[in-house]
Amino acid sequence: MSDLTLKSIRKSYGAVEVIKGIDLEIAHGEFVVFVGPSGCGKSTLLRMIAGLEEITAGSLHIGNVLCNDVEPRDRGIAMVFQSYALYPHMTVYDNVGFGLKLAKAPKDGRDKKIRDAARILQMEHLLDRKPSQLSGGQRQRVAIGRAIVRQPEVFLFDEPLSNLDAALRVDMRMELSKLHQELGATMIYVTHDQVEAMTLADKIVVLNGGEVQQAGAPIELYQHPANLFVAGFIGSPKMNFLPVTVKGIEGDTIVVQADEIDDLRVSIPGATARPGDAMTLGIRPHALRTGADGPIKGTVDLVERLGNETIVNFRLGGGTQWLAVLDGDMPLHRGQTVGFTAPEGEPVLFDRDGRNIAIANPQAEKAA
Amino acid sequence: MTTTVSTPIAVPAKPRHRRRSSPYPTWFLLPAAIVYGILFLIPTFASLYFSLTRWTLFNSSFIGLDNFVAFFEEPFLIQGVVNTIIFALLTCALKVVFGLGLAVLLTSQIHARGLLRSVVFFPVLVSTVGVGIAFTAMMHPTDGIINAGLGLLGIKGPGWLTNPSLAIYSVAFVEVWRGVGLATVIFIAGIVSIPQDYYEAARIDGATGWERFVYITLPLSRPAMVTVVILSFIHGLRNFELVWAMTRGGPGFASDVLASVIYKQYQAGFYGLSTAGNVVLFVLIAAMAVPLYLYLNRKEGHQ
Amino acid sequence: MTLVRRYGLTVAALIGAGFVFVVPFLFIVLTAVKDRTQAAQLDFTWPTSFPLWENFWTVISTRDFMLITAYINSTILTVGSITLLVILAAMVGYVRQRRKAWWNGLVDFLVLAGLMMPPAVVPTIWLLQQLGLFATLHGMIFIEVAYNISFCIILYRAFVATIPREMDEAAIIDGARPMDIFFRVILPMLKPVTITVIVVQSVAIFNDFVNPLYYLPGNDNVTVQLTLYNFQSQFNTSYNLLFMNILLVTIPPLIVFLFFNRQIVAGMTSGAVKG
Ligand SMILES: Nc1ncnc2c1ncn2[C@@H]1O[C@H](COP(=O)(O)OP(=O)(O)O)[C@@H](O)[C@H]1O
Ligand SMILES: [Mg+2]
Repeated sequence: MSDLTLKSIRKSYGAVEVIKGIDLEIAHGEFVVFVGPSGCGKSTLLRMIAGLEEITAGSLHIGNVLCNDVEPRDRGIAMVFQSYALYPHMTVYDNVGFGLKLAKAPKDGRDKKIRDAARILQMEHLLDRKPSQLSGGQRQRVAIGRAIVRQPEVFLFDEPLSNLDAALRVDMRMELSKLHQELGATMIYVTHDQVEAMTLADKIVVLNGGEVQQAGAPIELYQHPANLFVAGFIGSPKMNFLPVTVKGIEGDTIVVQADEIDDLRVSIPGATARPGDAMTLGIRPHALRTGADGPIKGTVDLVERLGNETIVNFRLGGGTQWLAVLDGDMPLHRGQTVGFTAPEGEPVLFDRDGRNIAIANPQAEKAA
Repeated sequence: MTTTVSTPIAVPAKPRHRRRSSPYPTWFLLPAAIVYGILFLIPTFASLYFSLTRWTLFNSSFIGLDNFVAFFEEPFLIQGVVNTIIFALLTCALKVVFGLGLAVLLTSQIHARGLLRSVVFFPVLVSTVGVGIAFTAMMHPTDGIINAGLGLLGIKGPGWLTNPSLAIYSVAFVEVWRGVGLATVIFIAGIVSIPQDYYEAARIDGATGWERFVYITLPLSRPAMVTVVILSFIHGLRNFELVWAMTRGGPGFASDVLASVIYKQYQAGFYGLSTAGNVVLFVLIAAMAVPLYLYLNRKEGHQ
Repeated sequence: MTLVRRYGLTVAALIGAGFVFVVPFLFIVLTAVKDRTQAAQLDFTWPTSFPLWENFWTVISTRDFMLITAYINSTILTVGSITLLVILAAMVGYVRQRRKAWWNGLVDFLVLAGLMMPPAVVPTIWLLQQLGLFATLHGMIFIEVAYNISFCIILYRAFVATIPREMDEAAIIDGARPMDIFFRVILPMLKPVTITVIVVQSVAIFNDFVNPLYYLPGNDNVTVQLTLYNFQSQFNTSYNLLFMNILLVTIPPLIVFLFFNRQIVAGMTSGAVKG
């Protein structure tokens, strides 16, 4: 089986370190998405797995083989590029079959594999065309077809959908999901779009500044973000944040205070906090409800009434901008003062270093 | 469907080498380097030695700087050096002036631009020796069509190639005729790459045609200018074909340039002296063209 | 610009260009089809008789059909040099553009030197003699490669820069080895610039006079340009034949020009825009 294991992987360009020690386990057949803001090192990491970039330090195992110095063609991988990188002078048929030809596969077997791949991707009618005669979506298919015929254990995708328009992107996303189920191969997929990550992934790896911020199932990351960065990055619209101070602790409930809101009760079982600690409060827009005497008071700036839900932009007393997504239609209007509450279990607290206090207690960190 | 495709065959192989080889191997440079190194670099370095010898191709005796001394003492050799510089400066300047003028004309709103461009460019592709022979005939002092044409206007034309003080200028004129087409297309390429917005903005600001030329066309076609100046200057310094086809350096040595001196000394069997001429030409180019190249390119970088 | 001025300018330009650039060509053509006595007058008149075929045949058959030999030699020289130039220059331009290495500066310097510096002729002759390449066509082919490769490298390098690296990487992932990447993926994509190189260099090499003059002495390996030089003394008094020769020598570049006008201009002006 071809589990991938990355141990303390590092990459430097000269004196600049862009990947700062990444440990990762990827099980066979998993759909893993690397997500993070532009420039965080997603592509670099993927390209190290592909063998297109030297690994400065650390080890990469594919299956049981140490692959640091193995040529890309011997790694059992295939890659789909953002620009598709189709060979413009070859027909679709030759594009898809180029790898097989290089591997000196017999002509009959080659033809069968190319036609199988074309059938899976429903592009049999395109085989005689040149890439210049294809639409964006069709080129995308050819690029995927070129990967499929190699029958790799691991598929690598670098932002494959970012050159497509929105509607096509949604279609291709579903097809990729289907393809993953059909082929059962490991897929590693890079995107800066957290929605793509949430919908496709078995496991999301959030990267920032060349480090893994958190890795886990999409819903895990949504419900239990390890730190401020992940909390802000995963979930749409973005989580609301506010600096607060711990006022008191009542069992599993922490009471926090800030100038801009009334005291708020947050229930976090097993968390350690002391009165006076500076923290950051995070509440997802979907967690807010209206309540006249709620602890969060805001002045409405903008209301978007969509019928099934209402999106409210409002300002806290000190000017901090927050967002609430309310169920159903709410006839609010600009300038109105509204009170909001949040169920005690919903808010999240992050310590001074930005770690979620419900997860990142010192013991847990040492164990990891 | 699934069964045909999902059986993995490409199992990761055992690592074969420690360091992976670059996909861009250095040995790709090797064939070119061998040809260039043997046939260009080695002779160039060898010339530095042989220019200091009296040389018969079979044996050489070291004579120090005698060959170079000859170049700056023998009047006909000095003439060759001076003519080379005159020829290079003159052809370069005229090609810039006429080339730029023609380029502006041929990018303006006139009809038959394509035809005119082709007409101006075509001499570049014709055999230089052929051009030389044709112009020699046309410049014949009594029968040539140039003087015949001048005669119709009541002017008695000079002996273009027979007058020793005129010959090198006549050859330079033909070189400008032959090469101005290249300068023109280079300037045209430079001018058409200037965004039209600049001209529109200038027109709105009320700039006259001349002002547009001076403040927009000239500075913004600078890369083209650099190319033309360097190309025609070096071409001028190295020129041989026209001089040889038209005057053989004559009358006497009046229109000899370095390249023709090198050939004459070679023909006469003075291999050391000929090679010294070559070295003088290297030095001339290095001393004039290289700083020119660096200067023009640096200025551009700072803009 | 008013219509009148526009037409005025056009007419003036056409007349000027006609006078300066077309008259010499007409003169060549007219003289080439005159008989000997009329041609000797060197004037710009209509031929009184048209010994076109006769002039043609005389020029062709002079000195045991030397012009035919010369055409064959020039063709071998041009085709051979260009084949080597395309492959060698593309390889250098490609690796130079793609790879960061300590020798990049050296390569650039040598390319520039090859572009500007005149060859040292007598030492080259001496070296060719040592190698047994002097006065041989294949020696001449290598000479043309050495002298013209700088220009081709510059063209190729600039074009390779426009091909995304992802193309190479896709090929690497597909299992291509360096030779496969270059010959099966990159070289085919270089086709536009290869056409430019072929066109520009074929004209340059076909028209080369100096280098065959030095390195190809003797009648066996004579090239087309050398026939002009050789016949110049022979046809001393027969301007019609000399000009017929010029005409015949000019025809191949003319044909190339008619078909590849755009590529020639593109090749020769590259560098003008980017600087
Ligand atoms: N060849 C390189 N040389 C120097 N720095 C590089 C190179 N390639 C990428 N980087 C840097 O590495 C960082 C990560 O790049 P990348 O992996 O492409 O980011 P992402 O794909 O997440 O947007 C960026 O800051 C980028 O500037
Ligand atoms: Mg990227």
